[in-house]
Amino acid sequence: MAKYPVSFKVNGDEQDLLIEPRKTLLAVLRDVIGLTGTKEGCSTGDCGACTVIIDGKAVTSCMVLGVTVAGKEITTIEGLAEDGELHPVQQAFIDTGGYQCGFCTPGFIMSSKALIDENPDRTEEEFRHALGGNICRCTGYTKILEAVLNAAEEIRTNS
Amino acid sequence: MSEYTVVGQKLPRVDAVEKVTGAAQYGADVHPAGMLYGKIVRSKHAHANIISIDTSEAEKLPGVRAIITQDDVPSGRRVFATDKVLYLGEPLAAVAATDPDIAAEAAELINIEYEVLPVVQDVMEAIKPSAPHIQGDETKDGPKRRDISAKIKELAADQDNDHAAEIQKLEAELNNYDDEIYHNISAESHTEAGDVEKGFAESDIVVEDTYVIPRVHQTYMEPHVSVASADSSGKITVWASTQGPFAIRSGIAGTLGIPLTQINVIGTTMGGGFGGRFGVIITHVPAVLLSQKAGRPVRVQMTREEEFLDGRPAPGCVIKLKTGATKDGQILARQALAFWDSGSVSGASIGSTIRVRGVYKIPNIKIDAYGVHTNKSGTAAYRAPGAPQAIFAGEAQLDDIAEQIGMDPVKFRLMNMREEGDEVPAGGSEPKVGYKETLEAVADAAGWWDREADDNQGWGVAVGDWTNGCGPGGVYVSVHEDGSARIFHGSMDITGTDTAITQIIAEILTVPYDSVTIRRGDTDSAPYSTGSGGSVVTFTMGNTAKLAAEDAHKRILELAAERLNTNEDNLELKDGAIHVITADPPKSISLGELAAYSLSTTGGPIVGKGSFARQSSTPALAAQIAKVEVDPETGRTRILKLVASQDVGFAINPMAVEGQIEGGTVQGYAWAMMEEMQYNDNGNVNPGFVDYRVPTSADLPTVESVIVEVPAPNGPYGAKGVGEPPITPTLATMSNAVKDAIGVRISELPIKPEKVVDALKNNGHGA
Repeated sequence: MAKYPVSFKVNGDEQDLLIEPRKTLLAVLRDVIGLTGTKEGCSTGDCGACTVIIDGKAVTSCMVLGVTVAGKEITTIEGLAEDGELHPVQQAFIDTGGYQCGFCTPGFIMSSKALIDENPDRTEEEFRHALGGNICRCTGYTKILEAVLNAAEEIRTNS
Repeated sequence: MSEYTVVGQKLPRVDAVEKVTGAAQYGADVHPAGMLYGKIVRSKHAHANIISIDTSEAEKLPGVRAIITQDDVPSGRRVFATDKVLYLGEPLAAVAATDPDIAAEAAELINIEYEVLPVVQDVMEAIKPSAPHIQGDETKDGPKRRDISAKIKELAADQDNDHAAEIQKLEAELNNYDDEIYHNISAESHTEAGDVEKGFAESDIVVEDTYVIPRVHQTYMEPHVSVASADSSGKITVWASTQGPFAIRSGIAGTLGIPLTQINVIGTTMGGGFGGRFGVIITHVPAVLLSQKAGRPVRVQMTREEEFLDGRPAPGCVIKLKTGATKDGQILARQALAFWDSGSVSGASIGSTIRVRGVYKIPNIKIDAYGVHTNKSGTAAYRAPGAPQAIFAGEAQLDDIAEQIGMDPVKFRLMNMREEGDEVPAGGSEPKVGYKETLEAVADAAGWWDREADDNQGWGVAVGDWTNGCGPGGVYVSVHEDGSARIFHGSMDITGTDTAITQIIAEILTVPYDSVTIRRGDTDSAPYSTGSGGSVVTFTMGNTAKLAAEDAHKRILELAAERLNTNEDNLELKDGAIHVITADPPKSISLGELAAYSLSTTGGPIVGKGSFARQSSTPALAAQIAKVEVDPETGRTRILKLVASQDVGFAINPMAVEGQIEGGTVQGYAWAMMEEMQYNDNGNVNPGFVDYRVPTSADLPTVESVIVEVPAPNGPYGAKGVGEPPITPTLATMSNAVKDAIGVRISELPIKPEKVVDALKNNGHGA
């Protein structure tokens, strides 16, 4: 199948790739660029495990075709920690025990980061609804919500 | 104040950083050079004869490197269907190609001709003589026919007397129960204690109901995946997402007739298991066969849709349950007749029907359980396999009795709960378990005793019991010159068990938690380890780790005595150093210095070994209370409060234990309220997250967890397995809460809005 040249940024690095039109952004990130932290849980945009941030918005990367991200800035779970220091959302997930098997965790962290960046003042109820696109089967969500609220508080205080 | 410094503490997990940075390597993240992508070709019918399989078009597609069918299985063991398919999605062939899209395209090009056969999906239909025969036609007698046949056999065996007339009468009676000749039976299980007929006769109240529990999927977030690489010497390496690498090794060896030593299984980080990740032929064997044929590594990764079609979910079942009690609240008898939907395989947790006995003194009990074939995929374990289903029936019926005799449901349970030394119905003597403590703890925490409910609100309570399994394991621990310790073992981390093992070893070696690291070996290198299921890991590997650390401790004292010219009795290991207790001024040597010294001794480095297989386990109890609000117009139930307590023996890491309680309770909630794999004559009709809804954070309140600690005599520090118990009571908790809210028992799960509306209408409450 024919491939098309596409240029975009992933975690600050310029990517100039030849991409088949049928490949999703998720497939490009995982199979072409080799960033496997973003997970494939359903391939239908329902579980949120493949969530990445595109130009500030949390997006399920299995629902985006790779050829459509030209010129965009993408952040994946691998791009969150800076200079070896974890992002407050990552640290909060550790401190509260907000993950178990960890498969949904990259998606949850990316969704949470985008939500907090957009508005850290959400109530617990608002975060519960806003995170409704991410499925976790292990935790029952109690400790995830604790992590997100703690991270939002921390980011609010330090900004 | 705890006597311990590391165990019993809420410490961050050992795999924390890799899990939150995306560095953890799951099965689909493995990508050896030259890897091909596999795709399984699946049946498009739920029941059909296979006329032909034509792979010629697929072979022509550029990029296709291998196509396999059952003809490529040298051992002849069934990996792919040959003459007949039994369910939608059953594997028929597999393809390996240079690109996943090419593999999928090739799979579509394989032309399969079918002769479609009649289908049966409902267990109560499948047992009838009119049902299609799915795998031969095994018939079994139901309870009454069994009783009559047993009597006939007994009379016939009595040579001294003539019972011909009596036998003839009984044989005639047998004909009255033709409807008890069950068809399509895959397995049966029968248990009896006391005399239920007598028990029911002595009861003031007898309640009977039929409980229907749906088939649900474990829905681990990582779909099944394996990467196999067969090299030219015949050596096979499999990167497997599995709960039990050693079981997968022997499974592959057995299925393909390959020596065990030729297979190395590397367990990858597991994206959830819940009992569903032990299967050998689901992806592992096809990956090996494809790799052998293509001569390159092959990854076989299931999609979510394939998970629903060909995973091994939890069996649904129909349980007819009858309970007799006196009007002052004593339970006298309980009888169950259960039909478990085992799909295309046998088994299906039927032995768990015994769990309808609960944790109560019931002098008379009778259980008859059957596994029934239907045109669905096979089933497997799901978190306390079979217990949520059986306990739902038992605990829902208990509430209905409590209501009839006008007794508070918590008090009714407390009054009937077994105590230490009581007889377990058909099961020996009860050890010390915190049954009452756990129920009282949840009642107190939830505010049960002064509970309030507005219109359409209700409270429900239920308890569920489970006992962790046990199995073999081995652990090594080495102490290094810098005072750190390294653990080596082969058991899969099932959400926190590596952390528990690490905490135990740090505790015994008296070193900081973060100076102990843990490394998992593959099946070529690590000592054998039992699978990570059945809540076994903390119990088994915890005990094993303890033995390894104690062994190292022994060597440490031996070395220190030599080094410090004293007797071992004068030494104490404390805060990472060995102290001469009798010395004044104080005299000590650090573990690091001792480890350095050990390298030049005759005895050598400090290596502790632990090996363990079996000790009796102690039951655990989970008790839960929910408060709900039901909208009588829409039938929608909103959960307002969910409190869960559990007797965990001892919480080695309370944060991880809370996580298990919260997660298990929510899985139980989902089974009660939302989840159901639905089937028609075409097979499963909801193979995705849009139609098979699992709960999200938006559906739930905070789960409040309460840890109760009544130590298990053989558990490490008294710990019991904690993973499975929390799912066991929730189905009943929810049904009981909804009944309290609307006054009607919904005994067919899940409690979807339409069922609530129907139930209200049928009882004259409806709009």
